[in-house]
Parts: sequence; structure tokens; C-alpha cells
Amino acid sequence: MARRYDSRTTIFSPEGRLYQIEYAMEAISHAGTVLGVLAKDGIVLAAEKKVTGKLLDLSGAREGGYGGSGEKIFLLNSNVIGGVAGITADANSLVNYARSAAQRHLFLYNEDIPVELLAQRLCDLKQGYTQYGGLRPFGVSLLYAGYDPHYQFQLYHSDPSGNYSGWKATSIGANNGTAQSLLKQEYKDDIGIDDAIDLVLRVMSKTMDSTTLGSEKLEFATLTLDPATQKPKAKIYRPAEVDALLQKQGLGKKDEDAEMKTS
Amino acid sequence: MSIMDYNGGSVIAMVGKDCVAIASDLRLGVQSLSIASDFQKIFPVTDRIFVGLPGLATDVTTLHEQFRYRVNMYTIKEEREIEPEAFTALVSSTLYEKRFGPYFIEPVIAGMQKLPNGGYAPFIAGTDVIGCINFAKDLIVAGTASEKLFGVAEGLWEPDLEADDLFETISQSLLNAVDRDAYSGWGAIVHVITKDKVVTRTLKGRMD
Amino acid sequence: MDVSFAITGKGYVILAADTTAAHSILKVKLDEDKIKELSPHLAMAYSGEPGDTVQFAEYVERNIRLYQIRNLYPLRPASAASWIRRSLADSLRSRKPYSVNLLLGGYDTNTHTPHLYWMDYLGTLTEVPFGAHGYGSYFALSLLDRYHDPEAPLEEGLAVLRRCIDEVAKRLIVAQPKYKVKVIDKDGVREIEF
Repeated sequence: MARRYDSRTTIFSPEGRLYQIEYAMEAISHAGTVLGVLAKDGIVLAAEKKVTGKLLDLSGAREGGYGGSGEKIFLLNSNVIGGVAGITADANSLVNYARSAAQRHLFLYNEDIPVELLAQRLCDLKQGYTQYGGLRPFGVSLLYAGYDPHYQFQLYHSDPSGNYSGWKATSIGANNGTAQSLLKQEYKDDIGIDDAIDLVLRVMSKTMDSTTLGSEKLEFATLTLDPATQKPKAKIYRPAEVDALLQKQGLGKKDEDAEMKTS
Repeated sequence: MSIMDYNGGSVIAMVGKDCVAIASDLRLGVQSLSIASDFQKIFPVTDRIFVGLPGLATDVTTLHEQFRYRVNMYTIKEEREIEPEAFTALVSSTLYEKRFGPYFIEPVIAGMQKLPNGGYAPFIAGTDVIGCINFAKDLIVAGTASEKLFGVAEGLWEPDLEADDLFETISQSLLNAVDRDAYSGWGAIVHVITKDKVVTRTLKGRMD
Repeated sequence: MDVSFAITGKGYVILAADTTAAHSILKVKLDEDKIKELSPHLAMAYSGEPGDTVQFAEYVERNIRLYQIRNLYPLRPASAASWIRRSLADSLRSRKPYSVNLLLGGYDTNTHTPHLYWMDYLGTLTEVPFGAHGYGSYFALSLLDRYHDPEAPLEEGLAVLRRCIDEVAKRLIVAQPKYKVKVIDKDGVREIEF
């Protein structure tokens, strides 16, 4: 019986549910975890990479591009970083759409797009697929970490139904329930960027399957204000920088050779 | 009275040894009445490219916004920064799109082009209002003082000037040319681009 | 024959425009308000072709209002100026361009700074410390070169405006009898009896 209501995206079930949307959300809960924490002087975003391996060619991550040629963290505009969880191909398409929308706003108003407006633009698109038939919804949730002069630093989450909401700290993808309860316990309202980085990495290390964190499994980014210009400054960490950060926080891989020598 | 001379303003670009320079005046006027003395006509495109847009002021802004949009979309799609030669082609095709109702701007492009061997070469180019490209090895002038700029600049310029000497040459060429042009002036701005940095200086001229 | 002036000072912008509505050689109205309040901290003095002016001003007003309704906060002055400029620049290359010149004054509540933009019907946009449109500009701009002070308190700003208006009354053949004056500062837009 249920099959009658889940074969199309736009048909309500008798209980008033849209099954395809719920399946899309289910797909996301198997994707790599993405975590965002809002601090008073910045935002931190971290993501778990799923596609890894020694043979993976990462030379596509060139210098000088728009930033984030990784798997899950992308620069959407000079003031917004996006973290994606779900079907990667759908995510790439949405990232492209977001970047175009941000550029259109810049063209029209000569200012960086306000963060909430960018989230709204994507949600309008996503919502369309819950109502117009024949097509599959985007199997993607996004975190938007951004800055604008209206509301300063902001963190938003949007899901496949086109809903969005603002957060102080949140998580999407696999184990997001665990991550969120950890964040709820540990988050403080006046948290600074350094403590936020620490919090994100600690929660990340607990939710991920692997015992040690490393750049092959982790993507990391921060958004802060440039002290000189007071303009938002996005920093998507390079693999080497991620490893250096993990070492500094005492969460990185131990140097096995060094251990061998001492023993 | 040509529409090209309605707001006034001039731009010049020069090649040096491992560097390029681009400079403009800062006047915005309505015929002979000056409205502003801080109107920028030169805009950064990337860390190594600048574009100067002398001509009708409304089109200065329109084209600046248009180029910024197209360069950003290029950067997103290509996942790398645009090079001067490709940017010049972008400028040309943008202008030619309006072949039968053109923007009244004669763009000047200056930048350092990346070479296959990893080095950088100086690059300057100019176009007319419909996008016909002029690749020059020495200098490009445009705007209401272009005739005077040709004279002074061709007298002062010599090949292989170092960055400091190039700055002096382009500054003197511009300041002296705009002094003989009622539609350009109110000080100047000069950018000297080398492979790893840009030095920008604002100059005072005859402020009258 | 429209005359309009604008001056920035310490934390404020003053907009002034004459109040005459003319039809051919006739004055048909003497208390026309040619300064449109666009949002709580943004106002625009308009002049140019009768008909175009009011039509364009209302078009701008409603679009700025729509943005505020949709996003719960108004466009900042710089963004509003860019949007209005684009409207004029697009209009310029349309079949029937709007013939409207503007002085846009705003107070940016994020950075707590006043902003004044000079704009003409071609879509020329520039931020200025003071500006003017119409025949009055030939008198006012040179006076303001001499007397304008960006750090002047409101009283001094109004005194400088008085100089401009008096000079135009003295030397211009088609002098305007009355002006409407509006001030934009941290408290928003308000009219001042002048």
C-alpha cells in the first residue's frame, strides 16, 4: 500500500508525509558528518571525508581557485562557507547554484549576499522539488557559515524539504544525534574561536569511526574577521594545515617512527 | 562634443622590465563642471591584473560590475584565476556583444601573464569601444587626454625600465598630459604590478 | 528648472530641493515635495523630466520597501544606490529612458556613517561630500568647495545650505522661492522648517 505514496515526490501519504523527502533525509544520515560551531568572533566548520584511499588523485585541489576543491567544504562566496552532506553529485550542483546566486546578488546590489538570503535562495530551489512532480529532490543538507553586517556571524542549516534554520552549533550527516548532544552539553554562549576549534575537533574525533584524525579523513575551515580590514576572511585548511592543527590540539596521529625509536 | 568626452578622464599603461604600470586621473565631470575628484577608473581584476575604463562614467560602473561578475564566474568554473590574455578576450567579447549600441569605453588592460615555465611576462592591451584588441609591446593610452598622452609618453618611455623608473615615467607622462586637458585631472592614481606584488600610489597634480 | 542641494556633515546628510512644480512657463504648484523617503534611514531628492520623476521615484520606493518586507532589514545606502543606478543605466538603453537626476542621502546604521550619492539620468554614480543638480549646481558647488566641512555639526551645515540658497536667489534668473529640507541621521529621516 505504502508504495502508492512514495513513488512520486509530490504526493502526500494519508498521514500527511512526503516519503521521497524523508528518504532523501535518510540518505543524508549515512553521509559523512559535518559540524558547525558559531563563536562570538568567528565560525568553525569541519567535515568527515568518506571517499578516501591511497590511490585517490587529489591533484585537482589546485591553488588560486575559488577554494574548497575537497569533498565537503566549499567557499560559496567571499563571506560564506558551505558544508554539504548527502549525494555528492547533487551537492556539487547546489554549490554551483549557490555561487551563481551570490554573484547575481553582488551584481545587482554591489554587496556580498547576506547569509540568510543565500540560504533562502537555495531553499526556494529545494522546495520546488517537493511540489513540482516528475523529479527527485536534492539529497543534500547544507550548513552555511557566514558573515554579513546585518547579523554578524551566522550558522544556518537547510534540508531537502527546503526548510532552513539558524543555529549556535549543529551537525548533519552520520551520527548527527550524538554530535548534537555533545555540542549541547559543551557549548557556551560566549565561546571564542579558539575554544570553538577545540570543541569541533573533540566532537569530531568522538563521532568518527576511525580512532585517529588525519587530513585524509577530515576537512576543516574557519570564517573570521580580518583584523585590519574588518572584512570576513574564509580559510579552508589545506591537508598539511589540517594535520598541523590536529598535532597542535593533541589529536593527530602519533609519529610511529618516533615511538619505535623510544621503545 | 562626443559622448566619449562627456565625463572626461584618461588612462595610460606601460611595460617595464618584469613589471607593468597602469595609471589614471581621478576626475568625474559633466562636460566642464567637475562633480568629483576621487572617481576611480582603474579596477583590480586579480592580484596581477588591472583594467582601466576611460569613457562615459555610467559605462565605467556598468562594465566594472559586468567584468567582475564574469571573472568571478570564470574563477568558479575553471577553479583558477584568469590570466591577462584570457581576460582581454573576455573584455573584447563583452564589448562586441553590444556591437550596434556600444558601451562608450575604451578599456586598457595591464597585468603579469603566467608563462608555461613558471615565470611571468608583462602584458598590456587596449581595445576600442566594440572590442577590437590592440596588443602593444610598449604603451597604451586612452581617454580625453589620449593625444597629449601619446606625445609625452612616447617621448619619455624607453625599453626595460625598472619598477621605480617605470613609476616615475608613467606618473610624469600622465600628470603633464592631463595638465593640457580640461576634462582630465584632479590628481592621479598609479599601480605598478610586479610578479608578486602591486604598489599603488595616489598623486596630487594641479588640483584646479 | 529644478534646483537641489545635498551636504554631509558629522553624522548627518541634509537634502534640499525646491518646491515648484512648473508646466511650461507656469508655476502650477508651490509646495511640491521632491524628496522621497525610501526607508527609515534613506531619502532621495529627485529632479528632471516631469512625470518621469514621480514615476521613477515611486518605482524605487516600492522596490526598496519590498526588499525590506522580504528580508526584515532595509538595503544599506551603498547597496540601494547601486540598485537604483542599475535601474537608470538599464533604462538609458531602453526604448524610453527615464530622465531623472538624483541625490541619495542615507545613514548606515551598521557603520554609523552618513553617505551621500550623486547620480544622473545616465546612471553615473559617485559618492560625494556634497552635491547639487540643476542650474543651482553652478553656484552651490563653488560655494561648498569653500565652506563645506565634513565634521560640521548640523547647525553649521544648515548655515552653509542657507548660503547656497541665498546665492541662487541672488544671482539666478529663475530663482526658486521655497525649499523643502530633510535631514537623515541616526534617528532617521525628518523634515526641517527652513
